[in-house]
Amino acid sequence: MGESPENQALRIFEPDPDAVYSIEFTERLTQIPRRTIAVYVKHRLVSPLVEQGGGMFFDEEAIRMLRRIEQLRTSYGVNLPGIKMIVQLLDELEQRQIELRFRRG
Amino acid sequence: MPTQFKDYYAILGVPRNASEEDVKKAFRKLARQYHPDVAKDKKAAEEKFKEINEAYEVLGDPANRQKYDRLGMDWDKTAAAAGPGPGYGFGGDSNGEPDVEFHFDGTGFSDFFEELFGRRSRYGSSFRSGGARTGTQERTARGYDIEGDILVTLEEVMRGAIRPISLQRVDPRTGETTTQTFKVRIPPGVQDGRMIRVPAHGGEGVGGGSPGDLYLRVHYAAHPYFRVSGADLYYDLDLAPWEAVLGTTVSVPSLDGRLNGKIPAGIDNGEKVRIRGRGLPQGPKAERGDLYLVVNVRIPKKVTDQERRLWEELRSVSSFDPRKED
Repeated sequence: MGESPENQALRIFEPDPDAVYSIEFTERLTQIPRRTIAVYVKHRLVSPLVEQGGGMFFDEEAIRMLRRIEQLRTSYGVNLPGIKMIVQLLDELEQRQIELRFRRG
Repeated sequence: MPTQFKDYYAILGVPRNASEEDVKKAFRKLARQYHPDVAKDKKAAEEKFKEINEAYEVLGDPANRQKYDRLGMDWDKTAAAAGPGPGYGFGGDSNGEPDVEFHFDGTGFSDFFEELFGRRSRYGSSFRSGGARTGTQERTARGYDIEGDILVTLEEVMRGAIRPISLQRVDPRTGETTTQTFKVRIPPGVQDGRMIRVPAHGGEGVGGGSPGDLYLRVHYAAHPYFRVSGADLYYDLDLAPWEAVLGTTVSVPSLDGRLNGKIPAGIDNGEKVRIRGRGLPQGPKAERGDLYLVVNVRIPKKVTDQERRLWEELRSVSSFDPRKED
């Protein structure tokens, strides 16, 4: 990072709802072995977009979820049923918060 | 560098025991005043508007407000002593490593807010994959993912925007500060909660591992007029009783300026009038959601003698009985 901030044009990042990654790339991005990712998918902790040919593709939200699951498992020692419950609780909580925010106006 | 405490009550100009309704009214009044579209000094108004919004995020949500009230001025000591909050307030590295301090600039949320209420505090300050088991020495590990929030106004969602963001990191062990600056594009129609991934702007990798990513979650700013549900906007429209009974045309705000809304005769309290295509952008073909006017019939508190006579006459003439089924 030798360039001074003024010299380099600032990079622009934006959300790309269409960005999907193959399982190979996902493995590289998350550093989670393919087989483990498949286990998470089987337990419905994360949903991939499944192509006709059977290939699995993951969007950025799924990438984030995978990393979170992996940390819960490896750093905090939570087992799979535990992770599943935590994820469900968080989802439910978020839904309710959205609803409450709307009602509260 | 300790994070600055924010006095949200002072920002909204309400006492500590203000009711929810008072907080909401204070927010609406200030938000209308400092809304970037109407304010004269737009730059100053923008900063103030974001501050007001953050204060309302906290004081307008009973759970957040309760947490905030419990803190007091020694908040960083109190919060540390209390440990992780109920539920899922686990923060920091499970290995006990001190966290890198980081500060955002340009997201619209203060560090104070992020530490207490942001995604960081809720799901732990950072996520690292690659295994950080206690007792083992990591040789190479990918850096942490950092999560933050970015506040966007509905106007920015309408037209899109490019926001400059800077992320300053302070290494607690060396005191060294590094700053990364970049821009984030808010595409028109971006949904609330959408994540913006900024690759390799997260925590540093260990032992040559690659850096983590930065995720910024889009957070719609509360609007002084509208509530948002998906791509639809809801505007609470106050009407006089006779306007609801007889119907009328009203001038209402929208993201495109003022519009005329036709209110049909006989519309009930809580019913909605839909104005198509005046909501937020959605979909690939520049479609838009709808604007709903939610009828809120108001009752006059004081009436003149003549008005009272007319109401009494109406009472004797009318066959309307709202409690007929009871």
